[in-house]
Amino acid sequence: MSGDLTLTERMRRHFPWITLVSVLLVVGMKDINFLAPENLVNLASDFVPLLIMAVGMTFVIYIGGIDLSSQSIANMATVLATISLPALGVGAGLLVIVAGLVAGAVSGVVTTRLKVPSFISTLAVGGIALSVGQYASGQQALHMDMAQRLHAFGWLVGQTAGIPHALVLALLIVAAAWFIQVRMVPGRTFKAIGAAEPAVIASGIRAERYRVLAFALSGMFAALAGLVFSVRLSGGSPTLAEGFLLPAIVAVLVGGTPLTGGVGGVLNTLIGTMIVAVVRASMIYFSIPATGQQIFFGVVLIIAIATTIDRSKMRIVK
Amino acid sequence: MNRFLAMDALRKWVPLLVLVGLCLFFTVVNPNFLSLRNFARIAISATPALMVAVGVTFVILMGSIDLSMEGTVAVCAVLFALALNALGGSIAGWGWVAIPGALLVGAALGAVNGMVHVMLRIPSFMASLSLGFVGIGLSLLITGGNRILIDDPLFRSLLTVRVWGFPLMAYAALGCLLVAWFIQDHTTMGRNFYAVGGAEDLARASGLDVGRLRIIGFVLAGVFYALGAIFAVARLGIAETETGRNFMFMSITSVVVGGTALRGGAGGVWNTLVGVLIVNVIGNGMVVIGLADYFQDGVLGLLVIAAVYLSTNRQSLSFVK
Repeated sequence: MSGDLTLTERMRRHFPWITLVSVLLVVGMKDINFLAPENLVNLASDFVPLLIMAVGMTFVIYIGGIDLSSQSIANMATVLATISLPALGVGAGLLVIVAGLVAGAVSGVVTTRLKVPSFISTLAVGGIALSVGQYASGQQALHMDMAQRLHAFGWLVGQTAGIPHALVLALLIVAAAWFIQVRMVPGRTFKAIGAAEPAVIASGIRAERYRVLAFALSGMFAALAGLVFSVRLSGGSPTLAEGFLLPAIVAVLVGGTPLTGGVGGVLNTLIGTMIVAVVRASMIYFSIPATGQQIFFGVVLIIAIATTIDRSKMRIVK
Repeated sequence: MNRFLAMDALRKWVPLLVLVGLCLFFTVVNPNFLSLRNFARIAISATPALMVAVGVTFVILMGSIDLSMEGTVAVCAVLFALALNALGGSIAGWGWVAIPGALLVGAALGAVNGMVHVMLRIPSFMASLSLGFVGIGLSLLITGGNRILIDDPLFRSLLTVRVWGFPLMAYAALGCLLVAWFIQDHTTMGRNFYAVGGAEDLARASGLDVGRLRIIGFVLAGVFYALGAIFAVARLGIAETETGRNFMFMSITSVVVGGTALRGGAGGVWNTLVGVLIVNVIGNGMVVIGLADYFQDGVLGLLVIAAVYLSTNRQSLSFVK
């Protein structure tokens, strides 16, 4: 890359946090109570599942793919967590994580080995996950036993000194993902794949393995998001996490990880999720009906893609 | 060389063979499968899906993809029902205007889709996915989450009147399929879809305005989604946001399973007919042999992976995103 980046190029990197601050200011001017710390902390803890899912999806978008199965995997996770809680206790969490990891890895293998484009392979794996969720739940909403929930996951629902434990967990997960991205070989390889995959292959790196890993991580994080959501709502159903997919993709892209991959990352998604959270909450202040949100985020998604995508990587836009 | 040609010719017939094989299998497990009543049932469930799948076929032929059908179908269905009820509630009177009206809405949504994809240079799967979400939100906003009932006997006769055991809508859909086939095989536009899907660089070098063609393809797809929406409303007598549900996964699976290649340039609307029938025969057959219908998503998922896998020439691809 040449040294003299244009002003817009340099500004683009700072765009996400500037957006966040401006959105916060606009809402704060409308109602100053919105900026009260306890309100912000509550808001943040409401968006913990979305944050976890978006962080996972970041890895896949980072390598230039897409994961449309996250929502279905999270749905499946809520059901599996609820069903296995009586038998496994905390182990239910482990089971769910493994299930997500496997589902994601299947998407990865189908994409890399069978050369099926990721938006189709993840759509297909999402269909399979949906079926598993519906089968396991018998197509009903299930409820967790209160005592068992408290015994196994009580540490997740409480708060210490006004800070919800779920929020701490989410920040730990972001930190772990950030560590993977910045300090570990897979993370650096993800960046290389997103930036220029042919160069990675030419360097003798087995790019396929890392791509499968990215999808597996995304599936695992999606399942983790489902687990946290299920513990919070004390139950599970094959449609519990409906409506997560759009905001999760929006969070990644608004945060500044473009659809073509290679730049951005986990911390960008953290900011992106905060933007989504503030915008969502502010819609109540500006009395925009809930049904309007989907339209709004759909349009925001298009704008975010159009402004961040790296067109030099796509000779033909299909 | 001859062997390769023979293999190629055989591959063309695989979807049809699969369809026949499936029918035989389900008949052996449960003879009730092979009855006129059951086939009529399959036809009813397949009719709206066929229209939507034919629409997306044009887009896939160009090598693009359209994931907006759930939103487009929902908006078209809801607006169609509202217009029909507002214009007197019967297509015998002024209500018929609702039909071209719905087609126009579909075309307009398709045009927006195509323009966002072409002019902003966004990959089509993401442009159409976003607009699909917008469409679902729009239909929710229009209906407020309510159902709109249609009780025009003339319009419902698409479902209720049967000729040789099949409802009128099946014949109407066949008529639309013939139109689609005509567009595909006998118009410049249709041939250009293949040209772009086969080799976009060559089409461009030959002076074809690829961007305009893509937008037209999305418009055409939108019109067929609107037809699907009308048939879906005729089938249930209800228009709501849920009307669009499941069309995305089902129609793309149908197109791919029918043998139209995702990279574009090969296949067509007849393949899509076979694909839609395969998907609906599986859905129906699973119920007939006593499997719960919620396995359908999983089976479709496996099916689409297998179909894309079998239809991809992996030697020519270095990597796929």
